[in-house]
Amino acid sequence: MPQAGPVQPRYRVAVDIGGTFTDIVVQDASSGEVSTGKVLSTREDPARAVLTAIERFAGGPEQVEFLVHGTTVGLNAVLERRGARTGLLMTAGFEDAYLIGGNDRLDIFDIRYRKPRPLLEAEQIFAVEERIGNDGEVQRELDLAALAPVVEQIRGQGLESLAVCLLYGYMAPDHELALERHLREELGIPVLLSHRVSPEWREYARASTTVTSAYIAPVIERYLSTLIEQLDQGGGRSLHVMQSNGGVMSAEVAREEPIQTLLSGPVGGAIGAQEISRVLDRPNVVCVDMGGTSFDVSLTIGGEASVSTETEIDGLPLQMSAVDITGIGAGGGSVAWLDGAALRVGPRSAGSEPGPVCYGRGGSEPTVTDANLALGRVNTSSFAGGGMELDLAAAEEALAGLGGELGLSAVETAQGILDIVNAAMADAIRTQTVERGIDPREFALVAYGGAGPMHAAALAEQLEIDEVIVPAHPGTFSAWGMLQTDVRHDLRVTHFRALEEIDVGEAAAAFAALEAQGRELLLSEDVDPQRMHATCMADLRYVGQEYSLRVPVPSPELDPAAVKVDFDRLYHERYGHSSAASPAEVVKLWVTVRGDLPRPAGSVAPAVRDAPHGDRSVRFGGEWQAATVADRAAIAAGSSLAGPAVIEESTSTTVVPPGWSARVVEGGHLAMNRSGGTK
Amino acid sequence: MKGAVRAVDPITTEVIHNFLTSCANDMNAALFRSAYTPIIYEGRDCAVALMDREANPLGQSTGVPLFLCNLEVCVRHALEHHGLDWFEPGDVVIMNDPYIQGTHLHDVTVFGPIFYEEQLVGFAASRAHWQDVGGKDIGSTMRSVDVYQEGFRLAPTKVVSRYQPDPQWMDFLRRNSRLGYELIGDLDAQIAACRTGEERVRQMLDRVGLEVFEAAKEKIFEQAAERHRAAVAALPDGVYRAEGELDNDGVGSDPVRVAVEVTIEGERFAVDLTGTAPPQLGPVNCGYAQAVSAIQLAYKSLIRPDMAVTGGTFDPLEVTIPDHCCFNAREPVACEWYFTGLGLLITLIISAVGEALGEDAVCPDYGDSMVITIAGERPDRSFWVSSEPTAGGWGAHGRDDGESALISLANGAFKNIPVEVYESKYPVQIDEFAIRTDSGGPGRLRGGCGVRRTYRLLEDASLSLWLERSRTPAWGLAGGSAGAGPDCQTDGPAGHWQGLKVNRLELPAQTVITLQTGGGGGFGDPLQRDPERVCEDVRRGLVSARAARERYGVALDPHTLEVEPGETERLRGIG
Repeated sequence: MPQAGPVQPRYRVAVDIGGTFTDIVVQDASSGEVSTGKVLSTREDPARAVLTAIERFAGGPEQVEFLVHGTTVGLNAVLERRGARTGLLMTAGFEDAYLIGGNDRLDIFDIRYRKPRPLLEAEQIFAVEERIGNDGEVQRELDLAALAPVVEQIRGQGLESLAVCLLYGYMAPDHELALERHLREELGIPVLLSHRVSPEWREYARASTTVTSAYIAPVIERYLSTLIEQLDQGGGRSLHVMQSNGGVMSAEVAREEPIQTLLSGPVGGAIGAQEISRVLDRPNVVCVDMGGTSFDVSLTIGGEASVSTETEIDGLPLQMSAVDITGIGAGGGSVAWLDGAALRVGPRSAGSEPGPVCYGRGGSEPTVTDANLALGRVNTSSFAGGGMELDLAAAEEALAGLGGELGLSAVETAQGILDIVNAAMADAIRTQTVERGIDPREFALVAYGGAGPMHAAALAEQLEIDEVIVPAHPGTFSAWGMLQTDVRHDLRVTHFRALEEIDVGEAAAAFAALEAQGRELLLSEDVDPQRMHATCMADLRYVGQEYSLRVPVPSPELDPAAVKVDFDRLYHERYGHSSAASPAEVVKLWVTVRGDLPRPAGSVAPAVRDAPHGDRSVRFGGEWQAATVADRAAIAAGSSLAGPAVIEESTSTTVVPPGWSARVVEGGHLAMNRSGGTK
Repeated sequence: MKGAVRAVDPITTEVIHNFLTSCANDMNAALFRSAYTPIIYEGRDCAVALMDREANPLGQSTGVPLFLCNLEVCVRHALEHHGLDWFEPGDVVIMNDPYIQGTHLHDVTVFGPIFYEEQLVGFAASRAHWQDVGGKDIGSTMRSVDVYQEGFRLAPTKVVSRYQPDPQWMDFLRRNSRLGYELIGDLDAQIAACRTGEERVRQMLDRVGLEVFEAAKEKIFEQAAERHRAAVAALPDGVYRAEGELDNDGVGSDPVRVAVEVTIEGERFAVDLTGTAPPQLGPVNCGYAQAVSAIQLAYKSLIRPDMAVTGGTFDPLEVTIPDHCCFNAREPVACEWYFTGLGLLITLIISAVGEALGEDAVCPDYGDSMVITIAGERPDRSFWVSSEPTAGGWGAHGRDDGESALISLANGAFKNIPVEVYESKYPVQIDEFAIRTDSGGPGRLRGGCGVRRTYRLLEDASLSLWLERSRTPAWGLAGGSAGAGPDCQTDGPAGHWQGLKVNRLELPAQTVITLQTGGGGGFGDPLQRDPERVCEDVRRGLVSARAARERYGVALDPHTLEVEPGETERLRGIG
C-alpha cells in the first residue's frame, strides 16, 4: 500500500462507470499482469467511485501511470434531459430547423407519433440576421448591433451555454467566429460553434450535434474538473477518456470536445473484441454483451471494429464517428409473461430492483436469470461474486405458476424462456449481418457481460458459428478493452466535388491542414511525434445518392482513378453491386490521427489455482445431465474441458453444452468449439 | 418431447412468431442493401411480406404504411388465376397493374413461391417504387386521363422461371423505362429480398419441421383473431358516419366526395364507402385492393396497434366498396395520384369512430403528400428536377397536442432535404423553412402546425404542384376547430400567382415560391385550453397573440407575453 516519499507509478488502469457497478482493470506496466475489481457506482458524483476503485485496487492515484475511463455522465445528461440550459442561435429564416428536424416518422403506424424530445424549446432559439450563400460568399452581413435584444433574452432566461449554427458555417466561419467573440464578451458563458464541433453540411444534424455538445459541456466540465482535482491531490496523472470512435483522448481535449465522450462506456467492449480478433487471428468477430437489461451487438470485420460516421442518441442525430453498437431489450432481467395463450419474454426488464425472483428482493415475475437457475446453469451460491445466495425454490415456484396456465412444468417453462430469448438474440445478430451482406458462419462469437457467456454457445448453434471466445474477466471486459486502445482523433471537412473534376492540389492541402490540426492535438496530449500516424480517407457516393461510403486514400495526393476503383470495390462488398461506369462524387475528406500508446507485451494468463472440478446436474436438451463444474482459474492453459460443463468465476458463468469443449488460449481467454457430431 | 400429443407447444409457437417478424426485417435489410435508387433505400418507398400458401400474412415490414397487407392481394390474384401448380421452385413473378394491386404503375410487386421438400409452403414478396415505368412524363405523370399515359402495365408475369431469368422480359423492362439500368438493379434487389425470405423460412423448417410450423401458424392466427375480436367488442356499438371532399381530380375543378359509414356491432367492424364519388377523369382513382389496405390501416391504428399483423388480424373487418366508385378503379381510368383520396379516407374512418372513443379519438392530419416539383434545363441542355413531399401538422387527441411539421402517412419515413444539400444540387435558394404560425386547429388540445418553405429561383424554371385538402382541411373533434389548408403563391418578375395544383408553370429567375402546408385538427373547446399553454404556444411561435385572443380567448401582455388574467376571464366569459 502507499508509502511515504515519491513513488514510481507502475499501473495502467481502466475504469468503466456503469449504472450499478464501476469496473476497474489494473495492469502492471512492466509485467503486463492484469487484475480486476468492482465497486458500487456513485450516481450523484461518479468521480467518487472512480477514486474508491483506484484506492482499493491500484493502491491509490500515485501508483497510476496511465488512466483511461469510460463515462456515462454525458450520455445520462442527454437521456434524462438533465444537461445545461442551452440556447441556440441560427441564421434568420431557419431558426425552426432544429425543431422541425428531419420531419420523418420513426414509427410509421403511430397516428399519435411525437418527435424525439429536443434538448431545448423554441423560446431558447434565436434568429441571427445574416446569410452566407452556398458558394461561401456573404449575401447578408452579420449585424451585431441588432443582437442586443437577443443578448438580453439569453441573460433573462439564465441560459448556461450556447450553440451557434449558421448556414454554411463550415464553409465560411467568419460570422460564427464574430458571434463567439461578441457573445463571450457580453455573457461570459460557453459558446460552441458548429464549424468546430462538426465541420459538415446538413444544418439540422450539425445544429443537433452542436446543441448536444453545448448541452453536456458544462456537465462534463464539472465532472472532469472534480476528477482531475482529486487525482492530482493524490499525485495521479495522464487522465484519458474513452471516445465514441473507439480511441482515447486526454481529459484536456475531452473538455474541448465533450461530444466525443457520449458513447464512451459501451465502446470498450467492441475495442476489446477487436484486440481479441488480432491476438487470436480471427479477423471477423461478432461481439455480444449481455447484461441485466440489454443485449448489445457490435462487429469486427477484417480486424477492424465497425465504425459509422454518424449516429443518434434518443432519436437526435449526431455527426460524429462512433463504433456501431445495436441493442435489443434482452437480458438476465427480461421478464417472461403471458399475452393470452402466448408466452412472451421481454422487452420489459425487472432490472436489479426488484430483479429476478431468485434475488429475493420482491420480484415475482420469472426472468431469464430465474430460468438459468432452475436449469442448473447458475450456482445458487456463487452468483455475481458470491455476494448473494439465490433462492431456487422461489424461482421454481414462479416458473411453475407461469407455466401452469400453459400446461408446462417449471423446468419446461425455464427451457422455453431460454429458447425464446436465445432465438430473439440470434435473430438480432442475423439481421445485422444481412444488412452488411456478410455470413455469420464465418465469424467467431465473443461473448461477455454477466449473462453473455451463459447463452453464447446456444446462440452460436443457432447461427452455425463454430467458435465462441469468452474473454478473461468477462464481467469487466469493457474496461479491459479500454486498455487496448490508442489516442485517436477523426478530423473532417465537407469537400463536395465531382471525383473526376477534383483539384488534387486543393484536396492535398485540405488533407494537410487536417493532419496538422490532428498532430497539434496529439502534441497537446504529450504524444511522442515518433508514435504518431495519420491516415487519409474520403467519403464518396455515386452522383444522385444521398449517403456515402468511406474510402481509404493511400496518399494525400489522391489518384482519382485509383480511388474510384477502390470505391467501386468497397461499394460492391457492402451492397452487392457497383457501377464502374457511374460517376462518383466526393462529399467529405477525413484524416484519422493516432498516437500509439506503449503497452506491455501480451497480458499474462492468470495463475492457475489448484482446485478440483466438481459436478452438478444441469438440464440440456430436455434431460438432466451430469455436468463438470470448474473454477475458471483452475483450468490450466492449453488443457481442455468437454461439455456438458459449467465454468464459474466471480463475475460470470460460462455454459459448455454437450458437444462443445472449452480450452484456455493465449491471453487467458476461453475458446469454446463445437466438436461436431452430437447435433 | 417424445411422442408429443400437442402438435405444437407455446414455446415453439412464440419462437416462430418472433421469427416471422425478424424474417421480414431481414428481407427488408436485403432490399435496402442492394437497391439502386435512393427512393427505395432512403425514401423507403417499399414493403416486404411473407405469407402462407393461401396468401395469408405471416410477417411483414413496410416503409410505407399504406402498403399494409397489399402484397397478399397480388399473390392471391395470381393464385386465383393460375392455381398453385403454376408455381415452380425458383420462379419470380412481377406485376404492377393498378386494377389488381390497387396502387399506381410505379409500385412494382415482385414475389416467388417458397418450396420445402418439393412442396409449396408459402410466398415471399417485395414491393418497391420504380422511378420510371414509361408514361408521358419523366417520374410522376401529371394530368393523366387514362392508365396508358402513365406507363407500362403488367399482370402477374413470370420473369424468372426455375431460377432462370427470362432475357426477353428483362429486355422489355429495360427498354420501357427512361431509367432502365436502375430499374433492373432494383428488380434484382427485390428478388434478393424474396430469396432471403425463402432461405430463412427453409432454415426454420429444417429446425422445426413443416407440421409444427403449420400448427404454430394456426395458433398465431387464432390468437390474433381472438385478441382483435375482443378489442372490437370493447368499442361501443353504433353506426358512425363522416364525409369530406377532395379539392378536385387534378384535371377538372369539381370536388370529389368521399363518404364513410362504419358499423360497430359486437365483434364486427364494417366499413362501407357507398356515397363516395364515381370514377374520375383525372388520376385520383384507386384500385379496390389498395383502398382495402388503407381501410385496414385505419382499422389497425385503432384496434391493437401494438400487435404485429398476421392472419386473423382483420377477421372482424368487413369492407363494402360500390362497383362504380373512385376507390374501385377499373380499366382504363388514371391512378397516378391514387393516395390522395386515401389520406382523406383514413382520417374519415379514424375520426368517425373517434366519436365512440372519447379521449382516445385522434383528429385528422394535414392529409396529403404536398408534392412540389421544380425543374429546369442546364446550360448543357440536360434537365434538373427537384421533387419533394412537404411536412405538415398532425391532429390533436384527447391526451396531447398534435405534432407539428411531420411527414404525411403516405410518405412514411421521408426526411426533408437539408437546405445546404438542396442548394448544392439545384439552382434554387431556400429563403425560409419555418413553422407556419396559427395553422394548427385550435382546441383544448391544439392541432400541430404546418410549415412554410420559400424557394427563390436563381434560373428560369417550371413549377408543378400537387397540393390537396383546401376544401376539407383537417377538421376538429369534440368542439375543436379545423387546421389551416395548404397554400402556394409565387411573386416575381412575372407577377403574382396563387394555386394548389399546376403542371409546368414557367417562371423566370428571381421568382419566389412560397409553399405553406396545413395543420392538424384541434380537440375540444379552445376556450378550455389552459391559458398558460396558450401563452407558451405564443412564445414558441405556434400561435399568434392575435389568435390567442380571438380563437382561445386569452389576452397576453404585449411586452412580457404573460397572461392577463382579468382580460382573459372577460374574453372567455363572453365566449
